[in-house]
Amino acid sequence: MEVIILVLSFLILIAIGVPIAWSIGMSSILTMLMSISTLPALTTVAQRMATGLESFSLMAIPFFIIAGHIMNRGGIAKRLVSFAKAMVGSLPGGLTHVNIVGSMLFGAISGSAVAAISALGTMLGPEMEKSGYDKAHSAAANISAGTMGLLIPPSNVIIVYSLASGGVSIAALFLAGYIPGLIICLLLMLTAVIVTRKKNFPTGDRTSIKRLIKTGIEALPSLLLLIVVVGGIVAGIFTATEASAVAVLYCLILLFIYREVSLSDLPSIIIDSVSTTAIVLLLVSTSMSMSWVLSYENVPQDLSTFLFSISDNKYVILFIINLALLLVGIFIDITPAVLIFTPIFLPVVQNLGIHPTHFGIVMILNLCIGICTPPVGSALFVGVSVAEISIRKLIRPMLPFYLALLLALLVVTYIPEVSLLLPRLFGYD
Amino acid sequence: MKVVIDKYLSVLLIVLMTLMTLDVLWGVFTRYVYGNQADWSEELAKFLLIWVGLLGAAYASGQKLHLTIDLVTDSLSPQGQKRLLYFINVLVIIFAFSVLIVGGGNLIYITNILGQTSPALQLPMYLVYMAIPISGILVVTYRCLDISMSFRTSR
Repeated sequence: MEVIILVLSFLILIAIGVPIAWSIGMSSILTMLMSISTLPALTTVAQRMATGLESFSLMAIPFFIIAGHIMNRGGIAKRLVSFAKAMVGSLPGGLTHVNIVGSMLFGAISGSAVAAISALGTMLGPEMEKSGYDKAHSAAANISAGTMGLLIPPSNVIIVYSLASGGVSIAALFLAGYIPGLIICLLLMLTAVIVTRKKNFPTGDRTSIKRLIKTGIEALPSLLLLIVVVGGIVAGIFTATEASAVAVLYCLILLFIYREVSLSDLPSIIIDSVSTTAIVLLLVSTSMSMSWVLSYENVPQDLSTFLFSISDNKYVILFIINLALLLVGIFIDITPAVLIFTPIFLPVVQNLGIHPTHFGIVMILNLCIGICTPPVGSALFVGVSVAEISIRKLIRPMLPFYLALLLALLVVTYIPEVSLLLPRLFGYD
Repeated sequence: MKVVIDKYLSVLLIVLMTLMTLDVLWGVFTRYVYGNQADWSEELAKFLLIWVGLLGAAYASGQKLHLTIDLVTDSLSPQGQKRLLYFINVLVIIFAFSVLIVGGGNLIYITNILGQTSPALQLPMYLVYMAIPISGILVVTYRCLDISMSFRTSR
């Protein structure tokens, strides 16, 4: 009964347009009032909202966001694009590949799909149109490539999952994201080749080893950030949070050297970052009360019992969970979806012997597809607004790319080694 | 009015966020140079995060940045949209008032009676929790200003 109230009130609230974070809090308090008296319930929720933020690992999120915002101001994306051009620009459909590889590099560094899509879309979109690429095709490639940044570390969504899962190692999850991210990259590039053949998009300019080395050296300081941050975390030199604070310092020093950011830019960079951060943090803090209600009402156990009554085969259950998450992703953005559904699904899959690190990557990759789909998709919206086309025109060219992402999801879901190989290699289990 | 709150709140948030960054960097620095890290630096960072999170949430609410599904809103007539937004504002005000102001206020009252202090800094915990009702007051203010604004433009 209480669970029905929780689910129903939440669905109604988000459907009529109450911000998701407040909806989570409102439906939680409503459900709690069924079984707890008013003042203690209000106090509990207030306390959970504050203590939910009292986490040192959560702090990595604002720092990575600041680092990302600092880099967006500078010319890092431009250098990464030149490097990507030297690497893959001469392939058939060259600029599409540049967009995909550039997005992977920039997404990895900025840790944000939205930032990668707007940076690469703005930079490459006009050039692709001039060279004879279909505008909708370029936008479709750009949007689907943005998702790689969420899997390849450092990634804020991975930190959110670690938090929601109750402490799956961030270092292990970071390592687990690399191969799935690269698989997406390869599948997207393959899709681009097939589409290019069919539509006769141009082949890019010839490149040379000399240019590859030159652009590589120019991009090196930015790429080095990835090594410092992820390498430092994996080697146990610092925690994810310390690494993120070091990343802020690194980006600042880098851009002061390049003279691309001045001290007077800092306040606006910080307040932009605080706004982006606060959106995530409010979701985290209200989700803490919802997950309390969920476990109070035994929802994960009841759901396991229900799923096991359908099948006790882990492949079937993973398939059902994937379908459910795809449906969720169509309507809810990735961060709230991870926060709400990790505490529900993780206990179920752990009963089946599925590794929590593996499941995290499956879940995030799955929800990445959701941010590229209408009607609600943050990646889609940014891609559309940058490319200045309508969502309707985008659907057809998106289809082959959706297919590529779904194929990647299938591979990552059913071959756990894809996610677990690297963490195991570095001794995380 | 909104402009004034925006300005002071954003300055406060920038200061808190900068302090947090410096504090964590200081923690990393001292651990490498002196071999051990002061207990207070991690605790202070956590408390600053609570303040940045809750006050930032109020700021983001003022700028209407929180993630929303606006499928229903978009399909309504302008008049219907206005009514729905009014209703949503009222819901958020009720939540912020009851949970953040009343619940948060009660939390402060309890921790003050119990005399709880933080382990490293010996800071009274009610000071940390003060962020909850302050955030609540700001959210209520922002939402009320939004309602009064929508009435003004409808005339």
